[in-house]
Amino acid sequence: MACAVAHIMDGPLNPSVTHGHMDGGAGAVVTFLGVVRSEEHGARIDALEYTTYDPMAERILRALAADAIERFSVRSIAAEHSRGRVAVGECSFRLTIASVHRREALDAADWFIERMKRDAPIWKRPIPAPSPAVIDGAAI
Amino acid sequence: MRVEVLLFGPLADAAGRDSLSVNTDATQPTARDVLDALTQAQPAMRSMLTACRLAVNHAFADDATLIRAGDEVAVIGLVSGG
Repeated sequence: MACAVAHIMDGPLNPSVTHGHMDGGAGAVVTFLGVVRSEEHGARIDALEYTTYDPMAERILRALAADAIERFSVRSIAAEHSRGRVAVGECSFRLTIASVHRREALDAADWFIERMKRDAPIWKRPIPAPSPAVIDGAAI
Repeated sequence: MRVEVLLFGPLADAAGRDSLSVNTDATQPTARDVLDALTQAQPAMRSMLTACRLAVNHAFADDATLIRAGDEVAVIGLVSGG
C-alpha cells in the first residue's frame, strides 16, 4: 500500500534511516540527502539556520509525496527537513523513495525536490564562519 | 477589515518582526487586497513583496481568495529549502 510521510524536525537529520521502506515489495530504495556545504554564495559558513512555517511545510511535503506516488507509481515516500541550526557536513533534508524498479524512484526524487524548492515554506540563513582574526582572538 | 499577516525568513528579517497587522478598505478582502495593503503600508518591502504569494490556512491562495475573520494568513516569499 502506498505511503506518504513528511516531517519537519529540529536540528540535523540522521542520514542512515531507510529500513522502513524495505518491505519486500520494493526492488529499489532511493535516498537523497541534502547536506550543508561549507560555502554559500562564495562565502565560508559554519552552518545554515532553517526557518520553517511548520504546518504549511508539512502539508505541502505530504501533498507532494502523495502526488509523486500517483505520478510515478512508487510505493512510498518519506520526506524530512530540518528546522533550526544544521552545521556544515550535516544532513538537513532526507528523501527516501521505494519503488518496484529504480527508474520511477529516481524520476520521482528529481520531481519532488524541484517542487519542494519552489513551494515548501522553508528558508535558510547562512551562519558565517568566523574570520581568522576572530579565531585567533587578535587582529592580523 | 484588519488582517494579521505572518512573516517568515527574509521578510521577517526586513520587517524586524514575525507578523504585521494591515488594514484593508474591504470588509471581506481578497488575498490580493491584503498583499496590496501590505505593500502600501510597508513601502520599504515593496521589491520583496512583488515575489510573494499569500497563504491562507496553510495553503497558497489565488488573488481572488476571500479572507475571513479567523483565517491564518501568511506571506510566503521566495523559499530556499533543501
